[in-house]
Amino acid sequence: MEPIERAIRWILLCGIALSVALMAAGLLLGVARGAGLPRGVVPLAELPRALAAPRPAAYLSLGLIVLIGTPFVRVAGSLVVFVRERDGRYVLVTATVLFVMCLGLVLGKV
Amino acid sequence: MAFVAGVFGSMLGVGGGIIMVPMLSLAFGVPIKVAIATSIVCVIATSSMAQTTFVSRGMTNIRLGMLLEVATAIGAVAGGVTAVLVDGRVLQFCFAALLAYVAWQMNRRGGDVTPARTGVLEAAYYDPASRRDVEYGVRRPRLGFVLSLGAGNVSGLLGVGGGAFKVPIMNLLMGVPLKATIATSNLMIGVTAAAGAAIFYGRGYMDPYYAVPAALGILAGARLGPRLAVRLSARALGMIFQVVLAVFAVMMLLRGVGLGQ
Repeated sequence: MEPIERAIRWILLCGIALSVALMAAGLLLGVARGAGLPRGVVPLAELPRALAAPRPAAYLSLGLIVLIGTPFVRVAGSLVVFVRERDGRYVLVTATVLFVMCLGLVLGKV
Repeated sequence: MAFVAGVFGSMLGVGGGIIMVPMLSLAFGVPIKVAIATSIVCVIATSSMAQTTFVSRGMTNIRLGMLLEVATAIGAVAGGVTAVLVDGRVLQFCFAALLAYVAWQMNRRGGDVTPARTGVLEAAYYDPASRRDVEYGVRRPRLGFVLSLGAGNVSGLLGVGGGAFKVPIMNLLMGVPLKATIATSNLMIGVTAAAGAAIFYGRGYMDPYYAVPAALGILAGARLGPRLAVRLSARALGMIFQVVLAVFAVMMLLRGVGLGQ
């Protein structure tokens, strides 16, 4: 495997493992309380307090956030590898992808 | 259901939102925005899990994926602008027709593309089905880039991942062998979907009641799909892809006449 392939694989595996662990924790917590699956996610601002509570919905939400965030981290990780390999062209390409992804976030909030 | 969707999605490099969204909203009575949010989470799960297999087998053309991702990401963001200019229903009919046409083209050509070295974004992988190393180069990168802008635009516009368009663009036009196409498309849909998912989360459409079981099912299914894709012959894979494209075309047509909205 090339360094870029190894980096991507490692990032994805970590992201998946972490999100599955969080979702499982949320499910177990829900079952332990006999509440079943909660409806609706916890907004980002309330997340720390809900995690400490601990509310099952907070762990499920964080699991989803990690899952959604994994491709972002993957693109950022690719960028780091391209920078290290001094592949100027793909540093530019990958940075553009990351920029447009973040632009979408900003535009989406409006 | 999520498990099956994971197997097929990861095997063919498409997200399957076009099937998943109406199914959730019609069969399970999920509100449409929540159905779309759930389906986007599924696409991300499919992409991430499937890539762990495709990348380690060297099938994903990471550089090609990144390059086209620039086009699809810009296209997706611009989707909102186009939505103002064109009637969505007209668009859906057009794309139903386009999908059907692509399925017919793939069918007419029969087998996979003949890989040829072109000096552009060359890559190689080992194909266990034919027990051969496949070396290929990319053809018509500029045309592929422009069409990917269009594919991204459609996905931004219609709320579908656009894998169904990315695969034919890379395979038919750019001369990328089907397996490398599927692996690369699979990488790209994760990026598009992640950008969309974050927005849906922020607006509160994400519902763990549907998203968590669906994501877990998809993750399990997406371990199996790539292994099947790697082992199957490119011909068989192509046939399955055509059938799925035809189903997509029908779904798009139904959406055009207002079902499952």
